[in-house]
Amino acid sequence: MSSNLFKKILWVFDPLLFSFKYISRKKWALYAVIIAAIISTIARLYVPLLIGDSVSSIENLDLRGLEYFAILIIVVTAISAAFQFIVNYGSQFIGQTYSFNLRNNVFNHLVRKSFSFFEGQTTGDLLSRTTMDIEASRNFITSTLSQLIPTIFMIVFGLYFLLTINWVYAAVFILSVPLMVYIGMVFQRKQRLHWRSIRGYYGRMNEELQENIIGQRTIRGFSAEEWEISKFMSTTDSYYQEYVQVAKLRGLYNNLLPLVLGGAATVILIYGGYSSLISSASVGPLVAAINIFTLVSPSVSSIGRLIVFSENARAGIQRINDVISEEYVEKLDRGAGAPLSSDLEFENVSFSRGNRKILDSLSFSISGGEFVGITGKTATGKSTLVNLMLRFYDPDFGSIRIGGVDIRSLPLTVLRRMISIVPQEITLLSGTIRENIAYGSPGASMDEIRSAADIANISAFIETLHEGYDTLVGERGITLSGGQKQRIAVARAILGKPQVLILDDSTSSVDPETELEMFRMIKSSLRGMTVINVTHRHSAMKYADRVFKLDHGSITLLHDESGMQDASGVSRIPGEEGDPSA
Amino acid sequence: MRLEYHGFQERREIHLPKLQTYDETEDQYFGKIDTRGSLERLIRDMFSFRNDSRQVIITVFVTAVAGTLYPLSLGLAINSILSRNSAGLVFYGILFLLLYIVQFFSNRIRTISSTRVAQSTIKSLRDRALGNLQRVPLKFFGNVKTGYLISRITNDGEALSEFLTFQLPQVISGISTVVISISIMFYLDWRLTLYALIAIPALIGFTFAIQPRVRRNYLGTRRTIAAITGNLSENINAIRLIKSFGAEDRTAEQFSKLNGNNYRSNMKAQRLSSIYGSIIRVIEAAGITTVIIAGGVQLVSGLVTIGIMVAFVVYLQEFFDPVVQLSQTYTSYQSAMVGVGRIYAIIDTEGEKAEFRGSISAGFGKSIDIKDMSFSYGDENAIDSISMSIPKGSKIGVVGHTGAGKTTLSNIIMKFIDTTGGSVTIDGLDLRSIETSSYRKLIAPVLQEQFLFRGSIYDNVIFNRPDISRETVDRLSVSFGFDAIFAGMDHGLDTSIGEMGRNLSEGQRQAISIMRALVREPEILVMDEPTSQIDPESERVIMAALSKYLAGRTLILITHRFSMISLVDNIIVLDHGRKVEEGKFEELLKSGGTFAKLYGIQTEV
Ligand SMILES: Nc1ncnc2c1ncn2[C@@H]1O[C@H](COP(=O)(O)OP(=O)(O)OP(=O)(O)O)[C@@H](O)[C@H]1O
Ligand SMILES: Nc1ncnc2c1ncn2[C@@H]1O[C@H](COP(=O)(O)OP(=O)(O)OP(=O)(O)O)[C@@H](O)[C@H]1O
Ligand SMILES: [Mg+2]
Ligand SMILES: [Mg+2]
Repeated sequence: MSSNLFKKILWVFDPLLFSFKYISRKKWALYAVIIAAIISTIARLYVPLLIGDSVSSIENLDLRGLEYFAILIIVVTAISAAFQFIVNYGSQFIGQTYSFNLRNNVFNHLVRKSFSFFEGQTTGDLLSRTTMDIEASRNFITSTLSQLIPTIFMIVFGLYFLLTINWVYAAVFILSVPLMVYIGMVFQRKQRLHWRSIRGYYGRMNEELQENIIGQRTIRGFSAEEWEISKFMSTTDSYYQEYVQVAKLRGLYNNLLPLVLGGAATVILIYGGYSSLISSASVGPLVAAINIFTLVSPSVSSIGRLIVFSENARAGIQRINDVISEEYVEKLDRGAGAPLSSDLEFENVSFSRGNRKILDSLSFSISGGEFVGITGKTATGKSTLVNLMLRFYDPDFGSIRIGGVDIRSLPLTVLRRMISIVPQEITLLSGTIRENIAYGSPGASMDEIRSAADIANISAFIETLHEGYDTLVGERGITLSGGQKQRIAVARAILGKPQVLILDDSTSSVDPETELEMFRMIKSSLRGMTVINVTHRHSAMKYADRVFKLDHGSITLLHDESGMQDASGVSRIPGEEGDPSA
Repeated sequence: MRLEYHGFQERREIHLPKLQTYDETEDQYFGKIDTRGSLERLIRDMFSFRNDSRQVIITVFVTAVAGTLYPLSLGLAINSILSRNSAGLVFYGILFLLLYIVQFFSNRIRTISSTRVAQSTIKSLRDRALGNLQRVPLKFFGNVKTGYLISRITNDGEALSEFLTFQLPQVISGISTVVISISIMFYLDWRLTLYALIAIPALIGFTFAIQPRVRRNYLGTRRTIAAITGNLSENINAIRLIKSFGAEDRTAEQFSKLNGNNYRSNMKAQRLSSIYGSIIRVIEAAGITTVIIAGGVQLVSGLVTIGIMVAFVVYLQEFFDPVVQLSQTYTSYQSAMVGVGRIYAIIDTEGEKAEFRGSISAGFGKSIDIKDMSFSYGDENAIDSISMSIPKGSKIGVVGHTGAGKTTLSNIIMKFIDTTGGSVTIDGLDLRSIETSSYRKLIAPVLQEQFLFRGSIYDNVIFNRPDISRETVDRLSVSFGFDAIFAGMDHGLDTSIGEMGRNLSEGQRQAISIMRALVREPEILVMDEPTSQIDPESERVIMAALSKYLAGRTLILITHRFSMISLVDNIIVLDHGRKVEEGKFEELLKSGGTFAKLYGIQTEV
């Protein structure tokens, strides 16, 4: 029972232990804060005694003594204030160092997490982990150092000073402290659930805002402005309601604390007053006792608050731990060196999502320098297939080899430099066109950038812009047309001179003429590079040496350069780009 | 260009996006933040919640009076002790307790009503900010960063929430305690009060002297945290890109830099406020000492009683407590004021011009006519004096090279943007004079950049029209062959599609966006590359159903896929913003222009 309680008390300090990792080299600050807290607390508690003494000297008409105590009050306060500065600043220093290091660590893990991790998360949630949750634990650490530790000393020394005055005062104090702490804890328990919902609604607010900003055209296009506003308002309303619930709890429990204090002070006043009235003793000690009481009580009542902080911090740390655990983290540099050729081989590759088999025992190979087309119905798994090559996902069974080496034994950085992808959904970052093209190779020269843009058939357009390559594109490339974005992404992918280039439907918004020109340039300028072009367009296959079709998890060769059909007798691509008069 | 593999390239110079300058860009779009103006406005906003704010004022007053009377009753109790009056001791002792009880009740009410005021205010600020985002011109979104904008409404709102909910009530009761304490002190003994307050001018002067610096510090912390949020949300959304190009280290380094900025500005702010807190303590002690000495001297000359002096000391402490608290709250006050200023800036961003919003309710009886219309995004014309007519029931195809201005044209027809020259009219009325939302209700778009919301496929198709039944969606899905596209989904159309539809294939996403438009049965259908990522077989099924569906409707179809051209009866060819050809399919094919060339390339086998 008692060991249980002891554990619980230690639990409160759990976040502090967690934080040690992140302040390791600044431990001295921690010690300095604790020592300063002790000194400052003693000095602060000494002041009421001095006030009591000076009241006594006035009673005795001892002006000299009065002067002496008055000066002492200022000196002692100044000492206490100086050390208090160390406590405040030092605890902020530790807290900020902690959150700085932790945030860096979280981010470092975050960018190394695999796709499977991100698919289970929302941006809003990840954002709140890296901001709110870290803030919660920092808050606890800062306030533990600047409040909890001083408070503990305050209680200890306060008790000691009271004992030196009168044991009855000390007894009243001992009785009221646990009561105040208990009230504080009950309150915290009760409000915890509400805080959890508040955090949930906060996350939802983040998400809805993001949808409203990124999806603004869709919202306007469907006249859904009012709809979205009312959706958001219902979120902010739930948020509001939770806050009011918390306020109701606070209104009761928080104000019970001063009431307990008032009761205790009254007891001391009447008891102390009565006894000095009888014994005609000095009232100085009584004044000092009441003074100590008013000084200590606010800190005692803040213990409850610190316990919640600790609970919030623990919840936050748990969520942060999900991110900084090694689970889902990709090992970027593990493995042997680079393979010599870029021949790709798929052997019995299977991949499922849940109970859906997307790829079923695929086997095929692409030799280095080939231009290969892949087609197939919507949602058959073409993107999934090409993502496997970069190890964005790993197959459930089977293996993929490049130059005879299993890609799982290659360092990811090597693999991803060998293979470059233009994904189906293009991401451009806010910045200039040049920065976007050079994203993968920040050291590229202007000539290299220009020649990549040439091949992607976008240089002519860029040069018509006033600022040319230094033109800013808005977030997500908002100021470019669909086809322009795709071609910039192509330029970006070929700039690093990969051995394998994957184009995942990267010309879907480009007109046929520009598309053809681009493929011609790729084929003629980038000899030796393997190109895998995923497309629905027949015309885009013109330069393909071979075309594969993906269907229900298996792959078949549709035709090769000579126009031969594969053995299974699958017909050539039917006249898919149908006859308009049909 | 020869292809060579270099193994590990050593990291060369790193290009960091110029994040600092983004602050300046933002300032330019939002205008400078005016803390004082924001405060006045905030107060007005808070008082608009009448009942609750009235309760707050009353209870604050009651609490303050009760709170300031108890040192007095303490002093009087001590005087009773000294004069050996036990009845007086008990009387004042009980009064002492009663005052605590009064405080308990009034504080309870105050806590609740002040939270109501605070949270209602924040709710209304957030709601208004989002509301205004729906009204600003679309080009606004081309200039600001999503993460930064979100940070204003959430993070900054949170800073304000902290302050209004937890600190402000303390501030108010603190200030009223100060005022009432001083009045009582004056009443008790005006001379001693003057001595007691001797330190106040120093306090005030000191506080005001450092104010600008404190504010600057807090603006710094708010900005640097916004930069962190902005950077994070951009990077999380771009995670695929980062991984594809192995930019993990570089991205982390960049983040660390922003994180460091935040660390430094926080430390800077904390240093100042810690010093402030300590100095206030010393000033307090000086005040107490003055009272004791001056009181002692007066006591000797019989001008003051000991009880009164004790009450003074307690009053001084009571008085400095809120002041010290104020100094701590001051940080959070500054932080909140900067935050609220940043939210007001969103609320104040100018919406679309009134003359563009229009007021006449839309009707579509005859035709939409475009005459010599031009549009420019800034420098050159993206649309260069185009004329065309879209009679009711016609099917128009728009084709042309990438970047020719097709999407821009559709944006003008959707009334997303205003023309810079020429005119667009519907049934002879200028489009500007037509009330936007009534006009858009005639139209359903399939945008080139479709957007999906979190939720299920159904949720996305139905979207803002809960009156559309699931049966309608199912029927549509079957007749257009979309059911085949979603055949494998775990829960059919109830499958949840992840944030922005990330758990779907691109073709599936496009299918949803087509369904969303079709299910609304609009008079006018505007489709921008609707099937660019859909396989030809599925496309054929869609087209077959579409040709029936379109009977009596008007269609504007932008496409690079000439297989879709059979749907339209008139084709417009754009090139560099100009209309270069117009006519029926056979005519254009015969004339041998741009269209014939593009068509030839795509259909050649
Ligand atoms: N992150 C994900 N979570 C769950 N399911 C997914 C996810 N990504 C894809 N899928 C599912 O896997 C299947 C294959 O998707 P994939 O994107 O590989 O198709 P695709 O062949 O590229 O289609 P498209 O031609 O439309 O681009 C689809 O049914 C899709 O719904
Ligand atoms: N928000 C914007 N700000 C500035 N310029 C823009 C903006 N949107 C488009 N542009 C420019 O206007 C021109 C026309 O773009 P638009 O999107 O209309 O082309 P498009 O014909 O739809 O091309 P695509 O076939 O590639 O989709 C392009 O050069 C583009 O860079
Ligand atoms: Mg795909
Ligand atoms: Mg377009």
